Amino acid sequence: MRLLVNGASYEVAVHPERTLLSVLRQELDLTGTKYGCGEGNCGACTVLVDGEATRACITPVVTAAGREVTTIEGLAKGETLHPVQAAFVEHTAFQCAYCTPGFIMSAVALLGRNARPSESDIRSALSGNICRCGAYVRILRAVKTAAEQLAQAEGKA
Amino acid sequence: MNLRDLQQDAGLIVTGAPQMGQDAAVPGGTEATLLLISKQGEIYAFSGKVEYGQGIRNGLALAIADELDTPIASVRVILGDTGLVPYDRGTTGSASTRTIGLQLRRAAATARRTLLALASERWGVPLAGLGIREGRIVQAGEPGRSLSFVEALQGRRLTVSIPEDAALKSPGEFQVMGRDAHRIDALARVTGQAKYSRDIAVPGMLHGKVLRPPSYGARLARLEKARAERVPGFVALVQEGDFVGVVAESEEGAEQAVASVYARWDEEREHPSDWDLPVQLKERAKELAVVRETGSLEAGFAQADRVISGLYFVPYVANAPMEPSAAVASWEDGGLTVWSGDRSPFGVRAQMAQAFGLGEERVRVIASEIGGSFGTKGAGGAAYEAARLAKAAGRPVRVAYSRQEEFIWGTVRPTALIEIRSGVKADGTIVAWEYTAYHANESEFRGMRGSDTPYSIPNVRVTVARTESPLRSGSYRSLGGAVNHFAREVHMDEIAAALERDPVELRLANLEHPRLRRVLTQAADKFGWGAPRRGLSVGRGVAIGYDAGSFLAECVELRVEGREVKVERVTAAFDGGLVLNPEGVRNQVEGSIVMGMGTALWETVEFGGGRPLNPSFSRYRVPRITDAPQIEVLLVGDPETPSTGAGEPGIVPIAAAISNAVYDATGVRIPELPIVPHLP
Repeated sequence: MRLLVNGASYEVAVHPERTLLSVLRQELDLTGTKYGCGEGNCGACTVLVDGEATRACITPVVTAAGREVTTIEGLAKGETLHPVQAAFVEHTAFQCAYCTPGFIMSAVALLGRNARPSESDIRSALSGNICRCGAYVRILRAVKTAAEQLAQAEGKA
Repeated sequence: MNLRDLQQDAGLIVTGAPQMGQDAAVPGGTEATLLLISKQGEIYAFSGKVEYGQGIRNGLALAIADELDTPIASVRVILGDTGLVPYDRGTTGSASTRTIGLQLRRAAATARRTLLALASERWGVPLAGLGIREGRIVQAGEPGRSLSFVEALQGRRLTVSIPEDAALKSPGEFQVMGRDAHRIDALARVTGQAKYSRDIAVPGMLHGKVLRPPSYGARLARLEKARAERVPGFVALVQEGDFVGVVAESEEGAEQAVASVYARWDEEREHPSDWDLPVQLKERAKELAVVRETGSLEAGFAQADRVISGLYFVPYVANAPMEPSAAVASWEDGGLTVWSGDRSPFGVRAQMAQAFGLGEERVRVIASEIGGSFGTKGAGGAAYEAARLAKAAGRPVRVAYSRQEEFIWGTVRPTALIEIRSGVKADGTIVAWEYTAYHANESEFRGMRGSDTPYSIPNVRVTVARTESPLRSGSYRSLGGAVNHFAREVHMDEIAAALERDPVELRLANLEHPRLRRVLTQAADKFGWGAPRRGLSVGRGVAIGYDAGSFLAECVELRVEGREVKVERVTAAFDGGLVLNPEGVRNQVEGSIVMGMGTALWETVEFGGGRPLNPSFSRYRVPRITDAPQIEVLLVGDPETPSTGAGEPGIVPIAAAISNAVYDATGVRIPELPIVPHLP
């Protein structure tokens, strides 16, 4: 089947029911997307499928075939970080950072559908992601900053 | 990369004992290479510590860059590779900054002095006028003159040992320490480039999966492997006593093969469960060990106007780091290399050497990035399993735990039952304090942490017993510290309530410790402790604490809504002495508060039949972003006081502060964790 990941096209010969997470990590060597629970409870494996936040650990790869998949590796444009990534750096919105790719992808999906989220919108969009180090206060701050920056950039455009 | 090549290529090598604690009883270790400057001018620092989220790589790099006045980009901190770094004990007890951090600063200061001496000789000028700016040696009043470190070394290879009197910068001279800075490892972390244990792959690597018994202590009675052998990609099945593992070409293949093994197990007949745990803790307790005995309890209670008794219980809680354990093992010419997400690489090396009958020099353990630990991931389950399977398969093997395996085969924070009896005079003076704790631990040591009272009480007896643990107990942020603080600080509130005194004021009335008085006063002021209440179901609670050499107080405001508790804001005042990295310290204290909130409100490992019964995030409720309160952390330490621990102390007061606030909101005292299931 054909997979479109981070703008590149891959032909992969895998069992259609294998998880998208397993194919990304093991076949495409994209290890930025993490395994956390294997049952869609922690959000560590979050990727975008056609812009929508998707739990790759419970998504059969066949359902993503032919659709646009974006992982944490595909977010930055060359050397330029996506505003959400930059805001996570600015606010040190992590400790061990194992959950960080999932949080960033969930936040990017939120900002894609809601450019001016309220704090409660942010909390609810990220409620499926767990950060065991407890960096939540910083994550909230980072997503707010990213939203402001995106809004500003839009205003200029 | 190996150490000999690095040393060969070095211009300057600084050696010393790997760590210098403030505690004279802690040996510094054998003289080793701690820092070197390569012929290309790169600065390498070596430490056996590992990075599991606390930011130690960043903290050490900042300290070295500052002592050498050199750009942080030229500093490379090598962590947790037993082939490169000296043994400097594990990463525990919030001790890295105050032990190895201090010694690496001394190593950098030694390099600085050596480089300046070389420049002074070369230029024929006195040392006094020389300094370093942006990694170049400069002379005061001679703006045109400067030397890089490489130029100063002139192709020499010097080895210098850290002298007794290595002079560190004073806090006033810091350029980068003490200020907020982005973490140097941030970029790799937000782009998915950081490599954790299960991200590591080596050529020819296979995947291993261990067959888990249905309960702790079960013995293998019968095994049929025919079905497993037919799974596509199956490579080998290894059986050694009760250990059974399979190796396959893919992770899925290994999972499928292990699920296809038919095994019959003989299980133990009687297992304790979380229901009868509090009783068991006391009944099965070993001898009580005395932590402190001062004055006479009998005389103290005789003077008391009131005697207040309390019983406190804390269940098992799971560390549940976001990254389940994983390791890769590879054998070559009879030697073993392990890449592991374990928090003690030297512990794993010793374990491997012993298990396989190898000399330690034949085992190299390389720490990956670690996706959280909080005290679990001790000497290696996954590492040992990977090494066994790799040895049998004759190829490298990765073992990566599932979430369920991490919950069941990782370690948990020990449960405890604590009894407190206090004698109080009518004016609020505590005159007698009897504290008896039963912690489910293999040694008393862990349960003793934080058990002594910091209040000024003339007649005190503190005793701690260990009890056999039905679950795999291990370390957790602050070990028994958070558990002991919960009991003591809830009891302090019970005294205040019994005497109808304000909880802050009653604590101050019994507290002489100047640093604790200061954190309590400052937290209460900033929080607005005296301000009017905001509604009926809103409660406020306070608790103080000490841990890892630091002192702190936390005030909590929360709302009780039906059967749920919403923590709305927390103010913490933290005194960890001199703060080298304020952003890092605040991050740690905030994280400890959030983690402690989980233990206070929801978390408990249910078990029965010899295994945990809720080994998933759908049945084990941890804090989520919807639960996160507003948190303010005040750093109030005196910069002239040496740095003390920051990774753990934040957790010690929070559960009591929450329980006390729930009492304030509802009038119901809940001396048992977690609180939410016990709400009326």
